[in-house]
Amino acid sequence: MIRLTNLDKRYRTEEVETIALDKMNLEVKEGEFVSIMGPSGCGKSSLLNIIGLLDDLDGGSYLFNGIEVAKFNERKRSELRKHNIGFVFQSFNLIDELTVYENVELPLIYTKVNAADRKKRVEEVLEKMQIMHRKNHFPQQLSGGQQQRVAISRAVVNKPKLILADEPTGNLDSANGNEVMQLLTDLNEQGTTVIMVTHSEHDAKYSHRIVRMLDGKTVTENILL
Amino acid sequence: MITNYLKIAWRNLQKNRTSSLINIVGLGIGLATFIFIMEYISLEKSVNQFHSNVDNIYRLLNEDKEGVTWSEVEPGWAQLFKDKQSAIESYCLAEQGIGQGIVQNIEKNLSFKEDRIGYASGNFFEFFTFNIIEGNKTDLKTPQTVYLSETTSKKYFGESPAIGKSLTLNNQFGKVNYSVKGIFADIGQESDIQYDMVFSLETLRSAAFLNGNGWADLNNFDSQFINLYVATAPNTNINILEKDINKLRSEVSKEDDGVTFRLQSLKNMHLGTSLGDQLQTYGNLKYIYILSAVAALILLIAWFNYINLSTAASLKRSQEVGIRKTIGASKGQLISLFLAETGLITGIAYSLAFLLVILIQPYFNLLTGKALSLNSLQLSNVWIYAFSALILATFFAGFYTAFVLSNFKPVDTLKGKLKGSGSGQWVRKGLVVSQFSFSILLIIATAVIFLQLKFMKNSELGINTDQMVVVSGPQVGLDSTYQSRKKVFLNYLGQQSFVKEYATSGSVPGKYYNFRTAGFTQPGSKPDDKFKSYAFLIISDQFLSAYGIEIKAGRNFTYQECDVEWNDNSKVLINEQALSSMGFANAEDAMQKGIQWDERHLDIIGVTADYHHTNLKNAIDPIIYYPQLNGQYYSVRLTPENLSCKLSSLEREYKSVFPGNPFEYFFTDEAFARAYSEEEQYGQIFTIASLLAIFIACLGLFGLATFVVETRTKEIGIRKVLGASVSGIVSLLSKDFVILVVISLVIAAPVAFYLMVNWLKNFEFKVEINWVLLFILVGISVVMVSLFTVAIQAIKTANAKVTKSLRAE
Repeated sequence: MIRLTNLDKRYRTEEVETIALDKMNLEVKEGEFVSIMGPSGCGKSSLLNIIGLLDDLDGGSYLFNGIEVAKFNERKRSELRKHNIGFVFQSFNLIDELTVYENVELPLIYTKVNAADRKKRVEEVLEKMQIMHRKNHFPQQLSGGQQQRVAISRAVVNKPKLILADEPTGNLDSANGNEVMQLLTDLNEQGTTVIMVTHSEHDAKYSHRIVRMLDGKTVTENILL
Repeated sequence: MITNYLKIAWRNLQKNRTSSLINIVGLGIGLATFIFIMEYISLEKSVNQFHSNVDNIYRLLNEDKEGVTWSEVEPGWAQLFKDKQSAIESYCLAEQGIGQGIVQNIEKNLSFKEDRIGYASGNFFEFFTFNIIEGNKTDLKTPQTVYLSETTSKKYFGESPAIGKSLTLNNQFGKVNYSVKGIFADIGQESDIQYDMVFSLETLRSAAFLNGNGWADLNNFDSQFINLYVATAPNTNINILEKDINKLRSEVSKEDDGVTFRLQSLKNMHLGTSLGDQLQTYGNLKYIYILSAVAALILLIAWFNYINLSTAASLKRSQEVGIRKTIGASKGQLISLFLAETGLITGIAYSLAFLLVILIQPYFNLLTGKALSLNSLQLSNVWIYAFSALILATFFAGFYTAFVLSNFKPVDTLKGKLKGSGSGQWVRKGLVVSQFSFSILLIIATAVIFLQLKFMKNSELGINTDQMVVVSGPQVGLDSTYQSRKKVFLNYLGQQSFVKEYATSGSVPGKYYNFRTAGFTQPGSKPDDKFKSYAFLIISDQFLSAYGIEIKAGRNFTYQECDVEWNDNSKVLINEQALSSMGFANAEDAMQKGIQWDERHLDIIGVTADYHHTNLKNAIDPIIYYPQLNGQYYSVRLTPENLSCKLSSLEREYKSVFPGNPFEYFFTDEAFARAYSEEEQYGQIFTIASLLAIFIACLGLFGLATFVVETRTKEIGIRKVLGASVSGIVSLLSKDFVILVVISLVIAAPVAFYLMVNWLKNFEFKVEINWVLLFILVGISVVMVSLFTVAIQAIKTANAKVTKSLRAE
């Protein structure tokens, strides 16, 4: 599903150039659950942003389902992103001004799903995530675990092929954390590919494979299955 | 989708109450100002346009060699033009001025002094489109007929029918009875031709009704006293017609007086065609332009607030934009979202504006002296352009904001990397500088207007106006007993201990002259000197001493010299200005040679000091004093205190000596002050405009300060931990804004200087302004106001608990 070859990413400030990804190679097959680990600054998040088409790459190739997307412009990326990729963030990134229901509905609005279908799908997802009873609440009225469940609902409502999770349990206690990991595992088992960045060895154990990074490169890969 | 956008917009608006309120209040005030000024402009544009034949009616103007135009022409031209020019289909003569006098309903024993009355040709109501309510349009062709406005009819006849009744007009043409033949709807601000009563001009065709005023002969080509309107055939080339009538003029006129005819379209009689249009108008196009500029400036300031505050607030919303983009929002969708927010805010602001307009309308009408309302907007189509521009600008402001917001890169916004782009900050600073530059410009303009006004009101006029009351002379009962009754009244004045001085004259300081005329020469004159115009002032022997006008050389008139028929007099006094204008070497030279006034020779018996007769806007005119015992005005200097008591004594005596005449008086001081009413109006409008401008600009500054304080909360916390004082932090936060205001001053000061020096050129006598001091004072006040605005926020933050500010991130 994803093939990255010789991927380069550099960040420049006026004086310093930092290499975030250095000839990085990675392949993720459809249906896989991959954890990416490594110390702070090793390039995990940069990698995730590039896979999620949120950031440009400076060199190398990125094939998504066999299509070269490295040179895609913002419009094409946005198009590809909204139909194929769901995001889960450490800080949830819910929109404060929207209710639970509206937050989850948003991706469907952007993919121009009609109102009746939207209602059906949002409610379906909220039921599944057991957050239906909170659908008219605003994010700040929810606990961290509940917020992350809303965020996951939003990530999956469009039935994406790929979920990118950036330390999804980082802001949660262990009970809520386990719950979120279980949700991701369930989604994976239903066929969604999951790529997760994490610091937690515990969380990583839920995945099929752990990619360990250092200084913008893969150092080891552990197959857990 | 739209409802979704509006819902989110509404929630955002509630969440950011301060900036929403600032935006709505600022835009609301700005829009209200705009609407008011549009009302005014619409009305001004619509004046005279209601006449059905407006496209083909022209007014005849005289233009002298200096390009000065005036509308009083000789009546004889009317018939001549019609006879000789096939392009002229009809004409109408109408005057306002010579007919003024006292109108009586003798039956009801009512008499009023009337100013808005005059004589007009019999076809007046056919030629123009005034609304006849009773009677038919053509009766004015009969001599001794009069048409009344509805209100005037009620004034003289109450609710009973006026048609067929009789009114008596007492004026310089004697006492004449007129029969009421028609009632017309009151003529309001939509017309420059303003009559309460229209008397038949045909009456003056008969010598018996001229009362010896031969100059008012309707066939004459010598005296200019009437307005001539001509209706041309459609598609007439006016330039050719103008040439043709000037050719006729030079054939008929005996001598070259340097004057040519101009034709002014009735359409352009109110505002002219452009600022360069020299032809005399009733309205003031410059005023319209200034008002529009002021409205646009205030609106711009409000819009800049909107752009500034929303782009600033967008930094707080960058995360939301990032999320939306990540989830799949296209740029277009984001732009629509933010445009919906603009739409909501401007929608509320428009509602507020209309509410303000309805509430404040009476005060605005008081200020402009016009009866305006929202309906006035329909009077002309200016509003279509104005509101299109407004909507376009609203859209632009919204679009710019939306564009800035939607342009964030999702990866940056999600990581909170965005701290305000360099260019965005520059735009914001640029807008603040523009706002304050506009405000400072308006403040300096206001200050200069008031300094000039104060200067004009307080300057020495060269005459003594203390407690000088001017009583209008009688117009009723000017019969054979009048001269002896006048003496009785003058004797009474002489005997009163509360009367210090008194005099009669044909005109008085603070009013205009009796007339202006040219044709004066002396042996040493240059060929063009006969075109020079001189002011004529008819005075009695007591006039100069009563007003304290110094005689520099020669002597005053004696009583006997004043007590002569107009044509029998051969003596005049002149002022110093006239002395030099006539080209005499000195007063002795003048008194020796005298002057030639066309065929008459006049001895100059003395030269007076110059004084300001009209006002300080104009240069001191060359004046020729002509001796007559004219009783048009009685100037009476009272002793101070208890003025009302003394005035009632005067009134009692006046009414008993001159029965049937209303006692009308004014103080000379007031007459001079009235001359500056236009400047007073400018002053008031600029005061309001600059207050609004600085208020809206400060609202924006407050909003921006709030935003800056929010984004720097953590920095402030750290500084406090490290030992910064409250005052240190306040000055840290305020410094940047004060610098912007100072830059604004540097930009605005030279522009204001240039504009106001130009404005002051309108005045022959201008105030000396210490510009540097003015700029410093305005600068200090604006800096203080802005500092205060910013400091409110800064002090609050500086005093907040450190833990709170550190936790903010």
